[in-house]
Amino acid sequence: MNASFLIRRLGFGLLLMLGVVVLNFLLIRLAPGDPAVVIAGEMGGATKEMLDSIRQEYGLDKPVLTQLWIYISNVAQGDLGQSYFFNQSVAGLIAHRVGPTILLVLSAQLLSIALGVFLGVIAARKPNGVMSGFVSIFATIGYAVPVFWTGIMLIILFASVLPIFPVEGMQSVKLRDAGFLVQALDVAHHLFLPAFTLAVIYLAQYARLSRASMLEVLGSDYIRTARAKGASEKSVLFKHALRNAALPILTVAGLQFGNLISGALLVESVFNWPGMGRLAFDSILRRDYPTIMGVLFFASAMVVIANILTDLSYRVADPRLRGKG
Amino acid sequence: MSALLQINDLRVTFRTRYGEVTALDSVSLHVNAGETLGVVGESGCGKSITALSVMGLIPQPPGKIAGGEILLNGEDLTKVSEARMRGLRGSEVAMIFQEPMTSLNPVFTVGDQIAEAIMLHQKVSADQAMKDAIALLDRVGIPSPDRRARDFPHQLSGGMRQRVMIAMAVSCRPKVLIADEPTTALDVTVQAQIFDLLNEIQRDFGAAIVLITHDMGAISEMADRVAVMYAGRVIEDASADDVLDMPLHPYARGLINCIPNLGRDDDSLAEIPGVVPPLHLLGAGCAFADRCAHKAPRCAVEKPLLINHGHHPAACHAVEEGRL
Repeated sequence: MNASFLIRRLGFGLLLMLGVVVLNFLLIRLAPGDPAVVIAGEMGGATKEMLDSIRQEYGLDKPVLTQLWIYISNVAQGDLGQSYFFNQSVAGLIAHRVGPTILLVLSAQLLSIALGVFLGVIAARKPNGVMSGFVSIFATIGYAVPVFWTGIMLIILFASVLPIFPVEGMQSVKLRDAGFLVQALDVAHHLFLPAFTLAVIYLAQYARLSRASMLEVLGSDYIRTARAKGASEKSVLFKHALRNAALPILTVAGLQFGNLISGALLVESVFNWPGMGRLAFDSILRRDYPTIMGVLFFASAMVVIANILTDLSYRVADPRLRGKG
Repeated sequence: MSALLQINDLRVTFRTRYGEVTALDSVSLHVNAGETLGVVGESGCGKSITALSVMGLIPQPPGKIAGGEILLNGEDLTKVSEARMRGLRGSEVAMIFQEPMTSLNPVFTVGDQIAEAIMLHQKVSADQAMKDAIALLDRVGIPSPDRRARDFPHQLSGGMRQRVMIAMAVSCRPKVLIADEPTTALDVTVQAQIFDLLNEIQRDFGAAIVLITHDMGAISEMADRVAVMYAGRVIEDASADDVLDMPLHPYARGLINCIPNLGRDDDSLAEIPGVVPPLHLLGAGCAFADRCAHKAPRCAVEKPLLINHGHHPAACHAVEEGRL
């Protein structure tokens, strides 16, 4: 891994984040309506003096470029502003909720990749077999069904009809004082349905993708070489072929991360998961602009980080890319 | 019946959209220990299918070994279990492929790939296997082998990669080494080096080599005996000198005539008119009849058998009747 690549990649990432901040800021300013009126409305009335004082308090009386500069320098110092609705710092609000979201998104990502790739590899072994057909049908259904519908169906099935999993939330209230292990298991128990719901769409895609990728790789000369050495079928599939088939899977995994976060927004709403998606949902309904911008900023940062990690993982997976810019 | 590798009446069919075609039609070959058998013929004549059959690497389906036997030290490879075949592959019979550029796995170092072959068949530690791999790289003439062992295939030239393939193939001292057009993809100067290396390896390791090629120059340099194949059949089988000096079958004569001769002052190269017929269009007669200058009515209806009609075995009615 060369350092200059990493530095350049991080530099691009920062530039991208700056762009996101500017775009966020301008988008909100472009939206119809005066934030001061909205805030005053939330407070229950709007006299001219009140509007002026609100404008002054939030810096809305200054020129837009000055406001932008203030916002950027605040963000650079970790200050994302004050929430209109929750009356707390946005950074604090997000800090409370980012953990559950990352837990949900990463679990869904891992679950969908692990299960999807496994199904894809099995399907690639016999491209015309039953498993292959199952993966194709499952992929179509998984991709077509809206995520909130899957969530509701799973709740009905596995929380209501067969009460195996909890309906909502992240922790049982009565276990708040239990030991760490008990609490962790409790969270995992709550996590399963939302993570699976979120994973279903992507799981199906990974299965299809790895099936196609594996089929291509299995036809290559070096697979024949591996067989000619006397390697077992398991080693041919999971060692020789999968490492090579992994590149397109990594690409998609990196690109999907953004989608996964927006999917998390819906899943968190369905399962009442106390994460950022839930916060975004609430703040959009309440026109809480600083919170919306903060959540967008944070989600973008997660996507940028995921993309940098994807680029780095290419180099681990494919030695031909090492040492290239 | 004391040959190391003996193929008797091997018949291999493939299911295609034209129906079932016969890729190999009663092919019989043998090679003795320490001997080099050259198998020559145009593309699509069944050379590689023969090699893959011996390796047990014919994709089944669509392929099928429909008859005959492949005896390695008397053990019929068409009847052994997949597990047994896996144990033989790489250890008793090994293969070098045509495409060194794509035959090595791009995501593992060459040292790892050779060491893997060693560990699949010998009970040695990973460290020892890597030491052996480095020694093999040294043996096949790769400079600074301990450093090269840590290289990935894309960091090596085509000739180097073919040397790695050879090192991998001989890593378990196989009794039979099949080289399927090992130099086709390489520069002419590198080709000569690879042939020299194969000759040395054979001397050191005592392996029998089956050299598949359409390069008659390679045959004259390497082979003790030659089998000429055409459309899935062996049509001439004799010592390399006999075939090169006195080819009998019109197709074999054509192949020898195709060798460019620097001393000759011709303007154009000799060629055999036409192409190998598609396997699904093969009729009852001689597959070469349509391209043959010595065709007789009998050739269209009766398949000639590989029989010695005097000098050495050839499958041709014209040779049998003394018209050639």
